[in-house]
Amino acid sequence: MKTQKTLFALLLVIALVLAACGGADTTTEEPPVEEPAVEEPAAEEHADEEHADEHVEEAAEPVVINIGSIHPLTGGLAADGIQMDNAVQMAVEEINAAGGVLGGAQLAVLSADTTGSAEVGQTEAERLIGEGAVTLVGAFQSAVTVNIAAVAEREGVPLLIDVALADSILDQGYTYTFRTMANATVVSTLGAQYMVDMAAAAGEPVENVAYLFEGTTGFGDSARAAFVEEAGNLNLEILGEFSYEPFAVTDLTTEMTAINALGADVLVVTGYYNDGLLAATSAEEVGVDVKAVYGVAQGTYDQAQFVADAGDLAQCFFDANYHWDAANPEALAVRDRFEATHGEEMRSAAFLSYQVTWLIADAIERAGSADPSAIRDALADTSYADHLLPFTGPIEFDETGENINAIPVLMQVQDGAVLQVWPPELAEADPIFPCTSWSE
Amino acid sequence: MPKETRTRYIIFFALLILLVVAGLNWGAIQEWMALKGVVLRQAAVTGILVGSVLSLVAMGLTLIFGVLDIINFAHGALMTVGMYITFVLFDRYGVDPYLSILITVPALFGIGLVVQRLIIHPARNAPAHNQLLLTLGLAILIENFLLIIFTGTPRSIRLDYGRGLTAVGPLTIDFPIRLAGTTITMNKLAAFVFAMVLAVVLFYILQRTDLGKAIRATAQDKEGASLVGINVDRINLITFGLGTACVGAAASLVLPFLFVDPFAGNTFNITAFVIVVLGGMGSIPGALLGGLIVGLTQEMAVVFLPSSTKLLGVFIVFVLVLFFRPDGLFGSKS
Repeated sequence: MKTQKTLFALLLVIALVLAACGGADTTTEEPPVEEPAVEEPAAEEHADEEHADEHVEEAAEPVVINIGSIHPLTGGLAADGIQMDNAVQMAVEEINAAGGVLGGAQLAVLSADTTGSAEVGQTEAERLIGEGAVTLVGAFQSAVTVNIAAVAEREGVPLLIDVALADSILDQGYTYTFRTMANATVVSTLGAQYMVDMAAAAGEPVENVAYLFEGTTGFGDSARAAFVEEAGNLNLEILGEFSYEPFAVTDLTTEMTAINALGADVLVVTGYYNDGLLAATSAEEVGVDVKAVYGVAQGTYDQAQFVADAGDLAQCFFDANYHWDAANPEALAVRDRFEATHGEEMRSAAFLSYQVTWLIADAIERAGSADPSAIRDALADTSYADHLLPFTGPIEFDETGENINAIPVLMQVQDGAVLQVWPPELAEADPIFPCTSWSE
Repeated sequence: MPKETRTRYIIFFALLILLVVAGLNWGAIQEWMALKGVVLRQAAVTGILVGSVLSLVAMGLTLIFGVLDIINFAHGALMTVGMYITFVLFDRYGVDPYLSILITVPALFGIGLVVQRLIIHPARNAPAHNQLLLTLGLAILIENFLLIIFTGTPRSIRLDYGRGLTAVGPLTIDFPIRLAGTTITMNKLAAFVFAMVLAVVLFYILQRTDLGKAIRATAQDKEGASLVGINVDRINLITFGLGTACVGAAASLVLPFLFVDPFAGNTFNITAFVIVVLGGMGSIPGALLGGLIVGLTQEMAVVFLPSSTKLLGVFIVFVLVLFFRPDGLFGSKS
């Protein structure tokens, strides 16, 4: 009896410890699992040596500068979150390999898991700053990023948004948060304009749309609201709006039947990967009679994985979203390196994470110090032309922290490839419109 | 019985008022049906098809609760394990997901036995909240283990049949079936049929076999059961295995129309809890009916509650049911 009780206690402890480790593993050590932890100490050592013999005059500067990477590493968005964390890591390794910053100081990544929760994101951001992160990169979800931006502002540590769409994040007058990608208003406004222009060019004008969006994390509603507003300017009628819970949805055929009954010209969709895939398969099953399915800031229809998962069904899906510059060979090389290291195709979100990490290195260099407020000032003065994104000019932030040259690009799946199709100056191919894979 | 009679009166008058209101607005209702009828029919079809799988998951959960008095938070995570088994079998060895039920059910039964023997059983005398934390810890452990092995990338499988003309036994059916404007796909219909067959099998085991009688006896009274010679520990073990076997089958049935990532089972877990409470804790028929009700309700929400989350409708029905029947639909008064 006694031995059994001891055994039970032991098992309980083991189970709990394992459970705790399970959590902790993915929170802090998941990236090193894929990209061996061996390299990091080596890099630090290297930095120490360099510091010792070359940079005596900069003794006041820390040798290792910590960048906090905060993303959803577990939960329904883990696939993107882990990629984004890996991309920050990859950029840091490349920056370090190219000589680091401030004439030899090395960057290091502190990773945190938001678990997709705003509260966890907030406390993890505080923890990262407490552990010495001088800049944060994150956080993929608008609702989570709002809280992290508040922490960044209070602690006086810059937050560079890699992906988070909602305008509201920068509505608070924050001075420490910067966004490289276009916000919801820009993506949706231009997304609506691209649709109307592209359809008009094809001789098949769009008069009305139905809108399906994720309704719980803020990003879908933000995109929808901006789209609806621009639709008013474009004489585009919104026949119906449908929302769903992105992490609990298991079926969308009822929604698709309702949308089909409206008889809209185009179905517009905003959401994350899994639910976007479900929307695509449901639309095809019901045979929704539209001229096109058109994503706005949709996390599915511009991904190579969509083509792999959906096969022929993926043909002709549109998405107006952030992207890497497909015309830039350097951008393609970055994606190749990522795929070689991690065995997965680099998604657009991870590409943004990679890009903004270089932006941080640039800011630290210009700040001449790793002091968070000096980095902030340098970020505010950014004019970064060497970026790999399809923007209209260099990355430059206005006083609210938005990149003034950020625009989305319209992509379409054509014969198994995701191609840029609009605006014409960024197009790799002409858009195919009207078209759905089930209409022929 | 005065309270019961009062409840009946309330229901009766509520229905009467509803009928009168409907009668007065008959024209408007007809107009509305012409507009929304298709959506309503599709909601009913999808609700029942998806609800059947929810029933299966909830039956496993309620069985475990009824006998072991444990709220198994790892139920969804175990379902994810079943989904990955189905995925790997299909992806690596080309095993048809419906055929792989023959593998996932025994596999999850076995995993259930191990979990019960090594984790739950030693904690049987611990306070309820400790047991609850234990299953929660197990869920986190499983999820993160899967995350390390499979990464967070969602995986799905694509069957090369079930579209267009498909031979089903002696019949040839054109999938997806279009019936009065609704769409019924092969994979959801198959999930429904298999789920119902398995529900009947489970029900038969519990009602008609000695093992079933022993399980029900243990659920009613542990001490009494052991006094008449039932090995309660063994029954607990088998029950936990049966409960997890249910999610094994459900896992194989949903994969053809869903995707799996390490957290995919969570959705089913939360819904299954609602169903178990709705149907009456520990009641198998309650779980079966509750699953269909929840399935229907969450689809109907699309029609009646525009731009809302599906679960809102479910919780409205949930609160209403518990208001009139605090122990759930089939709950015993305790």
